[in-house]
Amino acid sequence: MKKKTISGKKLFLYLILTAIFSVAVLSVAVIYFRIYTAEVSDDSYGRTFSHYYAMITDDYKSSFWQSVYRGASEEALEDGVFVELFGSNLTYNYSPEELMEMAISARVDGILVAGNGREEMTELIGRASARGIPVVTMYSDNEDSARCSFVGVNGYNIGSEYGRQVIRAREELLRLAEATGNDAWTGRNKRVTSIAVLFDDNGSVYDQNVILSGIMDAMSTEMKNSEFDIRTVTVDSTNPFSVEESIHSVFMEDQVPDIFVCLSELDTTVVYQAVVDFNMVGKIKILGYYDSDKILDAISRNVVFSTLTVNTDELGRFGVKALVEYSEYGNTSQYVTADVIIIDRSNVANYMKKVEEDEE
Amino acid sequence: MKNKIKSIPLSIKISGIFIMANIFSLVVIVVLLLGINSLSRRMEESYQDNLHLNEAIEALDNLQRAMTEYLNSKSTDSLSDYYSREQAFSGTVKELNALITDRTPDRMERNIKYMSEDYLERVAETIEAKRGRNIEKYRSSYEETNRQYEYIKAYMRSLNEERFAENSVRYTTLARNFRRFEYLAMSVMVVVLLGSASIITGLTGTIIYPLRELARTADEVSNANFDVEIPESTGNDEVGRLNSAFRKMLISIRDYIDRLRTSMENEQIMQKRELMMETHLKDAQLKYLQAQINPHFLFNTLNAGAQLAMMEGADRTYEYVQTVADFFRYNVQKLDAPVTIEEEVNLVDTYISILNVRFSGDIHYDRQVDKRLLNVRMPGMILQPIVENAVNHGIREMGDQGHIELQVYRDEDRVFISVRDNGKGMSPEDIEKVVGCRWESDAKKSDSNGIAMDNVISRLKLYAGREDVVEIRSAGPDQGTEVIINFSLDKEAEREDGE
Repeated sequence: MKKKTISGKKLFLYLILTAIFSVAVLSVAVIYFRIYTAEVSDDSYGRTFSHYYAMITDDYKSSFWQSVYRGASEEALEDGVFVELFGSNLTYNYSPEELMEMAISARVDGILVAGNGREEMTELIGRASARGIPVVTMYSDNEDSARCSFVGVNGYNIGSEYGRQVIRAREELLRLAEATGNDAWTGRNKRVTSIAVLFDDNGSVYDQNVILSGIMDAMSTEMKNSEFDIRTVTVDSTNPFSVEESIHSVFMEDQVPDIFVCLSELDTTVVYQAVVDFNMVGKIKILGYYDSDKILDAISRNVVFSTLTVNTDELGRFGVKALVEYSEYGNTSQYVTADVIIIDRSNVANYMKKVEEDEE
Repeated sequence: MKNKIKSIPLSIKISGIFIMANIFSLVVIVVLLLGINSLSRRMEESYQDNLHLNEAIEALDNLQRAMTEYLNSKSTDSLSDYYSREQAFSGTVKELNALITDRTPDRMERNIKYMSEDYLERVAETIEAKRGRNIEKYRSSYEETNRQYEYIKAYMRSLNEERFAENSVRYTTLARNFRRFEYLAMSVMVVVLLGSASIITGLTGTIIYPLRELARTADEVSNANFDVEIPESTGNDEVGRLNSAFRKMLISIRDYIDRLRTSMENEQIMQKRELMMETHLKDAQLKYLQAQINPHFLFNTLNAGAQLAMMEGADRTYEYVQTVADFFRYNVQKLDAPVTIEEEVNLVDTYISILNVRFSGDIHYDRQVDKRLLNVRMPGMILQPIVENAVNHGIREMGDQGHIELQVYRDEDRVFISVRDNGKGMSPEDIEKVVGCRWESDAKKSDSNGIAMDNVISRLKLYAGREDVVEIRSAGPDQGTEVIINFSLDKEAEREDGE
């Protein structure tokens, strides 16, 4: 009797085992199949947007414009708009004007363009407006174009900031000279502080002059005219090598300026490199422009005195906001200013941390 | 349910298991094949959009070429060619999506679509200007279309590259998945194989278990162990039936053996008892016989009488008494051991001479004895009682007509001793009774020496170990009787050798 029940139970056990086994194997196979199918088709659909803005710059790869784009993109996402750094997906590098043509032809809903004052661009902006595409110029302007708004920094403000930095840099140089007993800076033959402002020969002369006057105004409130000698150095920026050549030639002169005021990222890095190459760290103060990693690193290593950067995030945001406002209300303010930020040894660590967080 | 399963025939059960296993494997294989199929289809589709894009580029090239051709030649052929190309390209353009998504290729597709539409309009304008011979307009228009054509083409190429990169990634993922799926399929197959093998083994083992038990039992039974425990029947299938049949068979074999053993034991006991009884009987008979004959006193007395007769000079009396004394001495001596035929024959002679004294020579006595047989051994006190019997019951009342004949002869290996009279004879019933030792003799009444026929016959039988040792013949009333004793000479010889 006992045996009978055991064998019967066994039989049942085996049948149940079989059922469990089959179901398990099949479900594992099916689940696995589903998972990998999902993995493959995951990227088939993206988020869709109602509007599409094109952002056109002369160099979409530069960290400045990338940073501006990040700000613009964040703002746009909040408004349900997609901003594209136009031309970044194309295999060839097109000029801003060509990209403008393409964007117009592609009937984007709005264009953010880095103005360059060129006539051709002004004409293209006009063509875009004629086709109902609002255009916002950024950072630099094409004043007499049909743009609906300009978002940029106030050149005079920038100049004033530079001026204040020049004064601080000079004070530091004097302190250093006193400490080391270098009498070239003290005593009766008090040396004249020589300041070089690097101008871009491709940039708008008007803008650069506004900056220069800002610097001079700020300086004259603190110093006598006899105490400093300010001059502009025009840098040939037709290609990356020419910039380096121009700046090197300045270092080859008898009297190398004490303070360099750089108005572009490239100028800053080139001057910084030259100072290192000519072994003049500490003797020359560099007032840089922009907050690239290299420049920030140089500040923390005390090679660059301070740098001035536009709040790129704000620049991008304001540009998109202007376009959204224009397409909603048909009007927006013609002139929007973004903030300027000074970075020096005192705040560079915090700033770097913040940038890192932003990029994450 | 359990019983239902158990009543299913074994063959169906086992084939059921195999069919189930096969169906299961088939399902798994089909599932795997479906997976592989869908994967390979996806792989085939991977570069589909690249192909479409290439077609679009070709259509664009064709349109541009057709337009240029028309601008150059202004022929009707080129115009119709232009129209068909234009149709083809706008068809392609219509199929493009205009979605704005965060996926770059989607936006590029959208841009291509609008740029192409713009381009198509411009191309149409150019053609229109050419037909209207507006030279200045068609020239500038042509330049613009050319530029746009370049832009679109660049865009398309870039998109193609973008897509190609994307598809390559997807293709790699798919290929990797495909390989992974291969491994999965392989391991699933192995698992299924192992699983179904173990399940089949287990299930078959469970089903076969009673059969195995049965075989084990059968083995034990074949080794003559009938006391094995027979497994209970587990169902109504073949094994169950075989089991119960075997069980019944074993039980009946056991029963049969038990019965056989009992009957053999009984028989043995009975045989033993019979043997014991015979021994006791023999013993009793011999004791009885010895008790019957206590002639020492008589013998001594007779000896004294014979001495007296000799002293008185009565020679005949002396001889007579001496003969009687001899007779009794023989009786005293010869009862317990085999004697020779000669001794027996002499005793008969003595007896007859005594009787002839008593009955004054009435009895005619003849003897024919083969002298070579005189030394043959036989039990004592046999012939005298037979002769006495013949005298008392055969010829007593015949006066001097009575005749007794004693013969000892040999036939082949047998010794025959015959005692014949010519007296009253015997009925066959009486013969049978006497031979069968069922005759009730009355020794006290007779004047014999006390040894009756039945005693003689019984002793002979015991001695010879067979029943037909004595034969009595009688032709009927008054025809006389013949008693023939026979025993084998060999036996006698053996006995002699033994002694």
